[in-house]
Amino acid sequence: MIRFAIATRDELWLRGRRIESRLSHGEAIEDEHGIIASDARDDALVDACARELERLRDAASSIDARVRLVAEARLDGTSATITIALGGISIVTTPEHAAQDYEMLRAVAKRRADVPSALVAGGTPALPIVWRNGSAALLLHEAIGHAAEHEHEPIAWPSWLDVDVPLAMRRATFRDVPLRRMTHVVARQHDAPFELPPRRIEVLLIAGGAYEPLTHEVLLRVAAADLIDGNETRRLAPFDIRATREEIARSLTGAEGETIRYPGVVCSREGQELVVPSAAPVMITVFR
Amino acid sequence: MTETYRKRGTVVRWENGTLVRVTENGVAIEDGNFFSCEPERRLPAGRSADILSAAVQQRARTIISMIEPPITIERLVLSHGIAEHDFNGRTWSDEAQRLHLSLIHKNIRALVDSIDDIPRVADALARCDGERDAPARLRLAPCVTAALVPSLIGLAPPNIELWQTAGGIDGKGNAIEAVRIEREPWPNWYRPSYRVRPIRMPLDVRIRCEVIAIERDRPLAVALLAPIDGLTLRVLVDDGERAWPATVRVTRIDAVADEAVWYPYGGGSFGAEMML
Repeated sequence: MIRFAIATRDELWLRGRRIESRLSHGEAIEDEHGIIASDARDDALVDACARELERLRDAASSIDARVRLVAEARLDGTSATITIALGGISIVTTPEHAAQDYEMLRAVAKRRADVPSALVAGGTPALPIVWRNGSAALLLHEAIGHAAEHEHEPIAWPSWLDVDVPLAMRRATFRDVPLRRMTHVVARQHDAPFELPPRRIEVLLIAGGAYEPLTHEVLLRVAAADLIDGNETRRLAPFDIRATREEIARSLTGAEGETIRYPGVVCSREGQELVVPSAAPVMITVFR
Repeated sequence: MTETYRKRGTVVRWENGTLVRVTENGVAIEDGNFFSCEPERRLPAGRSADILSAAVQQRARTIISMIEPPITIERLVLSHGIAEHDFNGRTWSDEAQRLHLSLIHKNIRALVDSIDDIPRVADALARCDGERDAPARLRLAPCVTAALVPSLIGLAPPNIELWQTAGGIDGKGNAIEAVRIEREPWPNWYRPSYRVRPIRMPLDVRIRCEVIAIERDRPLAVALLAPIDGLTLRVLVDDGERAWPATVRVTRIDAVADEAVWYPYGGGSFGAEMML
């Protein structure tokens, strides 16, 4: 018999004003007959949530945007997440990184799109893509992580690339059936080739993604990207990239530097949203 | 003015072979623009989860027995829930059953939300071959039009009227009346959970068209292959001999039959056979 217990507090703040507040708690008892779940309260978990929420409020107090704070306590630990939305794009961060990530979001959101996304016809970019801010982790999250969750046969990736994607049984709430899900995605490069193309797309933030298990196709919705042409930088309108995981593996032509934490991946499967910390170095893809 | 909503209920869910029984009680308070909610200690509602469990398991066995190779089940989620509601002292109860089934053959996934649609969809899917264009003249099955209804709100062509269907109680304890759906604000409130702030939404919407005669010899779109994207549909078309995936952009509606079936899309919608 397995016992799962959780408490969650979440708040929605709009430009410094609290407009929503939720408390949720419950437990699930799982045996060979299934799962019996109720909203039973574990006071220790609820108290732990309250402490995390204070930490979240402190970290978010100076953020002038739409902010969702989520404090969660489970039997195996706590988590604290801040989602910040500004100018139609958003990031997911932690109290430790909130100030830094908010500044990055403000900088990205400040620039308006002035180039239509015709450079990405039919989901295939016509130019090399440089994945900044750890965003390549999203590509690998979809192409390697979700493929592994679906127990698809591994495929060949560049020899310079090492991706750590552990899977574990996870669930979003006490009402949910646990599923084999990623716990994190961390990509590293070892002596990868790297040559910055003078004309390129630089991906800054991702709006979302999906992996189609029937066709092994990845969809990435790019929220913010720049078109770089020599010394000129222009903002591209949001666009989608579609490619099979084999095409993605073939497209990876280089990487540089240390692993960079991407500000936030909330992964949804079967309606269960889970945070998956993700990081990757700057990487280059060329789709042919 | 402070509004207080209480809900207690039990739901039994069969999710890909795992039986889940959930009991919850909660309260939601809206005070101006501020919304809050939390669980509340009260006795669980109504019938025993054991009775619901037996019924859900039996339905799951029935559905599984309806599917034969080459079709396989990718996802089967069945639920049966009962709930008691209290909004500022007004009380009511309801009961809901849902089915979410995805069937696959080759690389094609068909979505099914009613047990009655399974034989027709499974039969067409088994005969399905490569992508083709949608026929210029096409019928849409009720399961497809029901999913289309929420996208038609505000975009329906002039020969089409959308109506909210009378019956039941909304998320703030008001009776759901028959009204024509034309422009906001919608008269009723949608509240699928006590944890969600209620929103105004047309409920149990049906389509009316002056022309109700359907030409039965047109190919039929029997199922959705993906969630609807605006007025663009990915559907499985069946002409009686061949079946194939196609993309349909709804630009004109010629007729809508008057016999309709309820589906759980949006705040509820009625699907009726439609001719494009």
